[in-house]
Amino acid sequence: MTRISRRRVALLAGGLVVAFGWLSTRAPAALDVNVGAAKIVQSQPVSACNNAAKSALNAVLQNAVELGGDTGEWLAFAAPDSANGSTAAAAINCYPLAGAYLATFTCAAQVPPSVDSATALCTKLATAFDAGAR
Amino acid sequence: MNVKRGLWLFAVALFLGSLSHTPAIASVDLSAGIRHVSDTGSLSECSAKAKAALETYLPGATESSPGSGEWFAMGQNLATGAASSGATVRCYPLAKGYVVTFVCAVQLPANPYGANALCLDIAHKFYGGAITPLAAMPTATPVPTGCATTNLVGNWVSDNDPKLTFNMQLNGDLTDNGGVSGNWIIDGSTVTLTYYGNHTLKLSPDGKHLSGPGYNLTRKC
Repeated sequence: MTRISRRRVALLAGGLVVAFGWLSTRAPAALDVNVGAAKIVQSQPVSACNNAAKSALNAVLQNAVELGGDTGEWLAFAAPDSANGSTAAAAINCYPLAGAYLATFTCAAQVPPSVDSATALCTKLATAFDAGAR
Repeated sequence: MNVKRGLWLFAVALFLGSLSHTPAIASVDLSAGIRHVSDTGSLSECSAKAKAALETYLPGATESSPGSGEWFAMGQNLATGAASSGATVRCYPLAKGYVVTFVCAVQLPANPYGANALCLDIAHKFYGGAITPLAAMPTATPVPTGCATTNLVGNWVSDNDPKLTFNMQLNGDLTDNGGVSGNWIIDGSTVTLTYYGNHTLKLSPDGKHLSGPGYNLTRKC
């Protein structure tokens, strides 16, 4: 191999490394938190809130759990991806009122890599909650 | 033979290049479940306490809409410049008193403490209880200066020829007093100087001298 050919191979290698380096450079991941909706649903028991919360969290995230038993405090995480752990999570709090209940939504996402912002996640949850509460 | 060597060089360089941008495994940690019911007090009292409790740990608590009683605040990892923690404290008025809920989120490992630790401290600050000091947030790494002895950034003079000086820059470039450029890289105390060929030098324990075949340099501070 001539001196010029060796130089070409080295230049090609260097150029591709720089190009791939740029391609794989990522913006620093930032935490995004959203104070979602607070809903008061009249003429419904808190058990209806619990059912809708579990259903919504399982529809949008996965493995919804009620913390500590019959607390009305629901939590779920997104499925972990191959490179990270869970990059999104949400909580729904159900609280009984006189002849009604209060439901609040709080969401968090790590953006990137989460495709949904915390606001988008909470919007999806609220929609799924309404569908489950009907 | 040379073609093989070139392809190996290419493959190794490509592999190392891909490794250099592999991000650390990171995830969101969320804490919920802390709820406090007060039989006395108004929504505005709850709001005042919520704001104060949040701002003990996170700067600039804001109410999601005025009078809503829903407060949140975010914290930033100063080393990465990105938000790594957040918390919400939501007050809701009852016929007598109020109910308040605490939800916290952090990004791990960028944040030095977990969501539960943050939420417990905020809640205990709100209604009383044991406060556990949280780990300090990492601060930004200062840009190396010419007098830091842990790198080569700055000016150097040749011991053999005092007229020959070098300016070594943060990006690994070097320039001599005649405008000739080269590069430097340091691994532990071993320095590779690319300047009319490659030279392997040793950095002295005090960080003030570079020595090796052909070159002996002293740091000018």
